[in-house]
Amino acid sequence: MNNSLLKVENLKVRFKTEDGYVSTVNGVTFDVEKGETLAIVGESGSGKSVTSLALMGILPANGEVYEGDIHFEDKDLRNLSKKQYRELRGQEIAMIFQEPMTALNPVFTIGYQLRETLILHYKMSKEQAQKKGIEMLETVGIPDAEKVMGRFPHQLSGGMRQRVMIAMALSCNPKLLIADEPTTALDVTIQAQILTLLRNLKEKSNTSIMIITHDLGVVAELADRVIVMYAGEVVEEAPIYELFENPLHPYTKGLMASIPKIHDVVDELYSIEGTVPNPADMPTGCKFFPRCPIGDIECTKIHPPLEYVSENHAKRCIKV
Amino acid sequence: MKYFLKSLVKTIPVLLLITLIVFLLVRVTGDPVSLMLPETATEAERDSLREAMGFNDPLPIQYLNYLRDLVTGDFGDSFRYNTDALNLILERLPATLELAIASMIVAIIISVPLGILSAVKRNSFLDLFITGGAVLGKAMPSFWLGIMLILLLSVTFQFFPVSGRGTLGHLVLPAITLGTGIAAEMTRLIRSSMLEILGQDFIRTARSKGLGEAIIVNKHAFRNALIPVVTIMALQTSTLIGGTLITETVFAWPGLGQLLVQSVNLRDMAVVQAATFIIAIFVILSNLFADLVYRLLDPRIKYD
Repeated sequence: MNNSLLKVENLKVRFKTEDGYVSTVNGVTFDVEKGETLAIVGESGSGKSVTSLALMGILPANGEVYEGDIHFEDKDLRNLSKKQYRELRGQEIAMIFQEPMTALNPVFTIGYQLRETLILHYKMSKEQAQKKGIEMLETVGIPDAEKVMGRFPHQLSGGMRQRVMIAMALSCNPKLLIADEPTTALDVTIQAQILTLLRNLKEKSNTSIMIITHDLGVVAELADRVIVMYAGEVVEEAPIYELFENPLHPYTKGLMASIPKIHDVVDELYSIEGTVPNPADMPTGCKFFPRCPIGDIECTKIHPPLEYVSENHAKRCIKV
Repeated sequence: MKYFLKSLVKTIPVLLLITLIVFLLVRVTGDPVSLMLPETATEAERDSLREAMGFNDPLPIQYLNYLRDLVTGDFGDSFRYNTDALNLILERLPATLELAIASMIVAIIISVPLGILSAVKRNSFLDLFITGGAVLGKAMPSFWLGIMLILLLSVTFQFFPVSGRGTLGHLVLPAITLGTGIAAEMTRLIRSSMLEILGQDFIRTARSKGLGEAIIVNKHAFRNALIPVVTIMALQTSTLIGGTLITETVFAWPGLGQLLVQSVNLRDMAVVQAATFIIAIFVILSNLFADLVYRLLDPRIKYD
């Protein structure tokens, strides 16, 4: 695929804890093509957020990428100097976060926080940045943009703040936008607005989007292709329609079954039994085995590889 | 602005209460007359002095008389110095304020960089060194530090005068002595406050924008971390105005603390009352000032 913008190969991330290193991302491989929207799906603890922080080079101080490659266009991100990485962040790869309530600095105005990125990366003057900032706020559908520039984050609603975050992230026209659960903390009606906004912006700007979520509804709304992650690994990869039509991995099927359906009357909603295993204490063999409805003794012996069943559909399971 | 006017009005009952408490305390702790007259004075002489000073009136009457004089700025005369008590205080006040401000500057100069550094390099050797130093600074008695500074920098090396007030040089050692203790406390507070802020989501946002570490730490984080620090600064300023007796004594600094303690010992009522009143005003002012600074630092705080 020579059209790929981001190529992640065998990425492994670990954290230093009091009991030694704990690996939370265990050999993740995927790529994001130009203009594509890739969704990474998984429940809490599956390593999806850590993967995105690793790509941005902003892992917490006790975390590190200890194996694998990250290529962004022709750049090898693991070998960038701190300065080169900083220039990349915010300009070529931008990120929006889950919690719009806390993701903006409470003591600076919206305008200040918007201008900051522009002045930093584009060396704009304050006036130019102000103008561009207002323009960006208008692009993300904020009314009274000029006034909002002078407001503080606490004076805006959650949806507005997420719009500001998006405006900030897109202000330098990044090639890749990483959106980490961008709608999780918002009301349902606001969620829909934000998703529509992201879709429209993508159509206009040809920015690739990598969206991280546990919400398959969001995936269906936005994504071209999906990666399902479980316990720090990719367990299934498929184009969006393929995945919804024909999910292969029992974990993916479990996720699909967990979505309540309006026409079925059931006493109890479906959920996948158990929880994601503790990274410090991973099962040998298939990591999903303890929660798997179809696994047997064979699954405890071998760690299944990611196998392609068709050109673009891959699964990590020996039973299907 | 309206908030501050309101706050000023609210200080009136506080001040009244303070005058009442001090008024009662100086009267229940002993007979001032016995110290004003020689031991050989007869009971009749004592009685006539009490009568003349108004000490035989019922307490409420005495208090009202005291308040009436207070409103005109008359706190009475000092028994010991035989001069107007308020003038005595006002003479000492500049020395106290000068030392308080200088100590605070020393404390800020020491604690801000050290607190930030130890938060950024947390759990490193440097952090250990700074936090260890902060515990030491807090534990070190100020009279000991003051004397050591004098021995080293005034006696051995003769950089600064040993004691007294006058030049800027006189100010250095007492300011370092007082500033060190405050810096120790502020360093630890800045460290923990910075640690908390550095873990916040908006710091991650700042990183994701590609900002440099220096801007993230000194601007995005520090501005937020300052808010609790201002509270401690206001409290410490209050202490500096009233309670620096030991340092004042070590350096023969002619401040309020010394005067107040001497006056308490001698039951010099007028001076005690005037001094506590003036100190109370400064405590209130420093708190109001802290309120004002909060508002400048944190737009979420609104008073009305």
